[in-house]
Amino acid sequence: MEIGIRSFFLAMLCTVTSFSLYAQQGSQQSSQQEAEQSVIEPNIERRDINEANIDSENFEFGLLVGVISIEDFSSSMVVGARAAYHVNEDFFVEATYGQADAGETSFEVLSGGAPFLTDEERNFRYYNVSLGYNLNGETFFTDNLVFNSATYLTLGAGSTEFGGDERFTLTLGAGYRLLLTDYFALHLNVKDHLFNSELIGAEKTTHNIEYGLGATFFF
Amino acid sequence: MVIDFKKVYFNSIQLAKLGCVMCLMLGLIFHQVLADDNVQVQIQQPYIDLHSGPAGGFPIIYVAAKNEWITVLKRRTNWFKVETVKGVQGWVKQDALHLTQSSSGQAVKLSDGSFESFAQRDFEFGAMGGSFEGVPSMTVFADWVATENLVAGVSVTQALGDLSENQFFLVRVQHTTFPEWRVSPYVTLGAGQIRTKPRANLVQSGDEARTSDLLAAGLGLRYYIAQNFMLKLEYQHLQALTNRDENEDLEQWKLGFAVFF
Repeated sequence: MEIGIRSFFLAMLCTVTSFSLYAQQGSQQSSQQEAEQSVIEPNIERRDINEANIDSENFEFGLLVGVISIEDFSSSMVVGARAAYHVNEDFFVEATYGQADAGETSFEVLSGGAPFLTDEERNFRYYNVSLGYNLNGETFFTDNLVFNSATYLTLGAGSTEFGGDERFTLTLGAGYRLLLTDYFALHLNVKDHLFNSELIGAEKTTHNIEYGLGATFFF
Repeated sequence: MVIDFKKVYFNSIQLAKLGCVMCLMLGLIFHQVLADDNVQVQIQQPYIDLHSGPAGGFPIIYVAAKNEWITVLKRRTNWFKVETVKGVQGWVKQDALHLTQSSSGQAVKLSDGSFESFAQRDFEFGAMGGSFEGVPSMTVFADWVATENLVAGVSVTQALGDLSENQFFLVRVQHTTFPEWRVSPYVTLGAGQIRTKPRANLVQSGDEARTSDLLAAGLGLRYYIAQNFMLKLEYQHLQALTNRDENEDLEQWKLGFAVFF
């Protein structure tokens, strides 16, 4: 199952990146044509505008590192990847994948007895697709050092693999994106992963809060 | 010292994968740095506003006057980063860019994903959520628009219930009789495989997952919203060809969106 999810993500990544490469090839060819023309024609004669010559940067891709508190199983480091498509200035669609190794429950630690889960079952992996809303703004570090930034809220759904099962997961998140340049951004984000689990006795809704740092590129 | 060749092998594969991704990303970045597009337009209206960022909320930092030439550097959603002859950079909205003209005297008109561009789309990518036999399901799909009536594609669905986990993929064809309608019904046929795994707490030991072939027939509606977005609503009837005496009939409802290019 894990291979299935990995290959699915790889496939999605491939389609997204291959598309952007395809689009960029097009613009490269047309800019070559433009260069050829400008050798012959004087510089005053400006070409009519070609939309393909305008570089479009609506995709965002990057990595994230953080800490996730897995309910009943202590906190662990989480690493993941994040891809987003910006629909307009307000909305974006985001897909994230992350993995962590869950720790031990306090019962396991105190009793020193047999562990609840095997090492394999302690692998905590999630993916989710969210819709995000930007609250655009600027961040003033000093009077002259200003960066564009956005605080964003996300709502999404996905799946979490933990304890040998995969669970339908709802995610609620909030984040802060600091654009150091037009195409490079740093993220600070908090996300709650909600899913039902009966690993510790009766079934209950667990809250697994993740906070982390990320770095992304727009392309 | 014993060298674990298997581990080394896998590590090198991981490294190679990472390397590929890094090269791809660096390639994309350098391409953007080196690209010399030089799209220039002249302002025709009394003025246009340059904002400090690609959204309406960002403050206006410069006002470019009539007859001034501006160079369009890049695009983010429907905002354009421009540079004036004096070297001032800022972001203008697409509507403002439409108030300029090119050197040949033509008014600038950039396509904003119209219904006409929808008719000429080549690919669709999307995600849908819904219910599969009463259990929440999530689907992602990639479609190729072969003709205005026919679409071919693949979809992957995961449905996670209290009793079992289901994953299936389908290779599908979709037919629309009325492609010229903004809200248009379609029929879809598909074939694939389904993998069902009972919950870990329901099985005593071992992995009881089973895989069956799957056939699907569906009815749906697609609605062109705006720009390059569309909504899809679909009902699917699926049949899992099991090893048992009876085949399993399954139902799925889903609603989602797609982006087209």
